Amino acid sequence: MTFLIAQTEEPSLWSPEWLPLLPKRLVENLLEHFNAPEWLISLGGTGAGAATVLAVFMTGFALLSLIERKTLARVQNRIGPNRAGWFGILQPVADGIKMLTKEDIVPAKAEKLLHLLAPILIVVPAILALGVLPYGKEWIPVPMELGLLFFFAVGSLTELAVFMAGWASGSKFPMLGAMRAISQMVSYELPLVLSAIAVIMVSGTLSLPDIVSQQGGFHLGFLPAWNILTPWGLVGGLVFFIASIAEANRCPFDLPEGESEIVAGHMTEYSGFKYALFFMGEYLGLFAISGLGVTLFLGGWQAPLPGLDFVPSWIWFFGKLAVIIFFFLWIRATWPRLRMDQLMRFGWLGLIPLSLLTIPAAGIWSLLQRSQHGLLAWLVTVPLLLVPFVIMTVLFNKRLARSNRTYRFAES
Amino acid sequence: MNPLAVLLTLSSVLFALGLFAVLTRRNAILVLVGIELMLNAANLNFIGFWRFGPPDPQLTGPMFVLFGIAIAAAEAAVGLAIILMVFRHTRSTNLNSSDSLHG
Amino acid sequence: MIALLILSPLILLAALGAVWKARPVHAALLLALTLSLGGALYIALGAGFLGLVQFMVYVGAVAVLIVFSLLITRPRDEVEEIARRPKSLLPGLLCTLPLLAVLLYAVGRNVPETTTEAVELPIKRIGELLFTTHAPAVLAIAILLTAVLLGAALFAREPSKKP
Repeated sequence: MTFLIAQTEEPSLWSPEWLPLLPKRLVENLLEHFNAPEWLISLGGTGAGAATVLAVFMTGFALLSLIERKTLARVQNRIGPNRAGWFGILQPVADGIKMLTKEDIVPAKAEKLLHLLAPILIVVPAILALGVLPYGKEWIPVPMELGLLFFFAVGSLTELAVFMAGWASGSKFPMLGAMRAISQMVSYELPLVLSAIAVIMVSGTLSLPDIVSQQGGFHLGFLPAWNILTPWGLVGGLVFFIASIAEANRCPFDLPEGESEIVAGHMTEYSGFKYALFFMGEYLGLFAISGLGVTLFLGGWQAPLPGLDFVPSWIWFFGKLAVIIFFFLWIRATWPRLRMDQLMRFGWLGLIPLSLLTIPAAGIWSLLQRSQHGLLAWLVTVPLLLVPFVIMTVLFNKRLARSNRTYRFAES
Repeated sequence: MNPLAVLLTLSSVLFALGLFAVLTRRNAILVLVGIELMLNAANLNFIGFWRFGPPDPQLTGPMFVLFGIAIAAAEAAVGLAIILMVFRHTRSTNLNSSDSLHG
Repeated sequence: MIALLILSPLILLAALGAVWKARPVHAALLLALTLSLGGALYIALGAGFLGLVQFMVYVGAVAVLIVFSLLITRPRDEVEEIARRPKSLLPGLLCTLPLLAVLLYAVGRNVPETTTEAVELPIKRIGELLFTTHAPAVLAIAILLTAVLLGAALFAREPSKKP
């Protein structure tokens, strides 16, 4: 083990907090040992860091595909995959082998180049977005000052890729699915960004590690200062998580790709490895956007109680991520699919006004908190958010007024 | 080779290409593509002069670009809404055939 | 400077494709490519914030809007724009080439001295300027965007049957 020469300089190389950074440190030490130029050391280090993140999330993707099927199965009172190994643990391996060995069919009327490019352009933004999230106190692959803006910018590349997938396939189902998918993604990108703007306004920075650091500390000794435990943060966090389900095209917002509706939407004409890339892009995008939600609203890698600092921070991050993803799976298993017009109405008339309201609420809250009027902050922002929400709910319910159910052919 | 000269040449050629698209294209939506190219060329000019000109504490260049991007997006939205309304009326996006005021 | 020299021909090629290609969807996608390369150029010139905003707004919204309306008006069936070239090509060139000549002449004649130190765009300063010096412009843009939203929604409604 000659490349541990520099161990004496960094005594914390093996501590649990630095454990995920181990490959990066090892590569950097190795290159430094061989007197590599400065740019090569940083390039190698960043590459090793990126490889670590990719390895973690690919494993997570494989595990998630299995856990999702098992969870859905248990909710539906059945067992789920249990043939491929002990408790089905080798099911992702079996799925991978199946996807890789399937024949790659490209329709005759398809545009070859765009058909090939679309799955790549769906996976690349998801992987890029995974690079700017702070996973631990010291673990962030690419610390960017404009991290949040970068995240949203690469997220908007996904819409174009979905269009390319739908149009380049050359048949009706994919084009229809692409139209629906694009309109849904564009509509729900607005509440996503608006609820993030409230967080940016309060934190005063676009850099994700700083947003997480500002959610440290505890109120009253034991309540964490996460953004979701404030009135505007609660509303904003809920809006963000609902919009992220819609952005990831998951149930109840999976009309663009529901099997009973439109075969597979924009992914219909894809088979084999390209379909696996779509699948992977969807799940990695889900990881990325839930990770962003955890960072913005749930305090990122901050521990929930004051005494739990000895647990490495990245365990808290992945724990919170697991909880959020479990909620998403739960929602998928229990709620029915929304129709297109219901989806649009919910997004434009429900989520956007709510997320617009969080911005002045966050401003008033932050102003009153900083001038030491904590109680007044609660008293002002809670009605500011609650009253329009109640009014909107009443108006919605009046519009969809339930009448007594009539059966037309029951009596004969 | 002056970097500012390269940038200004690039933006001039982009502007000319956008103008060519506006004048020559038959599909109304592709005319909008040309307009977006022209706006982008102007933005590039502003950024070029901000980057390679004297330091400006008022950040005139980037401010202009920010407003330019917002206005370009707004105008693309309105333009496309109008084009779609005309399409709904005449079932065609051909500009050469929309040459009479009476529907 | 190196980034500028690499990106410029790519931007020009993509814009040429956007302007000249016969299939509308190809032209629109090449516009998206031009705009994203332009955003990359902004980032290379030090205006990272503007480059990412260009990505998010132009590529993520405007280009998507353009391809979406192309989907709705569905020009895939027509063989587009190949036959008409002899008609309006010449007037187009007649208007464009002199303008290009004048612009290039102006650029070649007096290009001022350039400072070459790279300065990163300070975001906090943009925020301060937006809400102090340029606040009226921000308000005007807010009203403009609201008007655009309402107008587009009104345009897009199905025409209601008048009694």
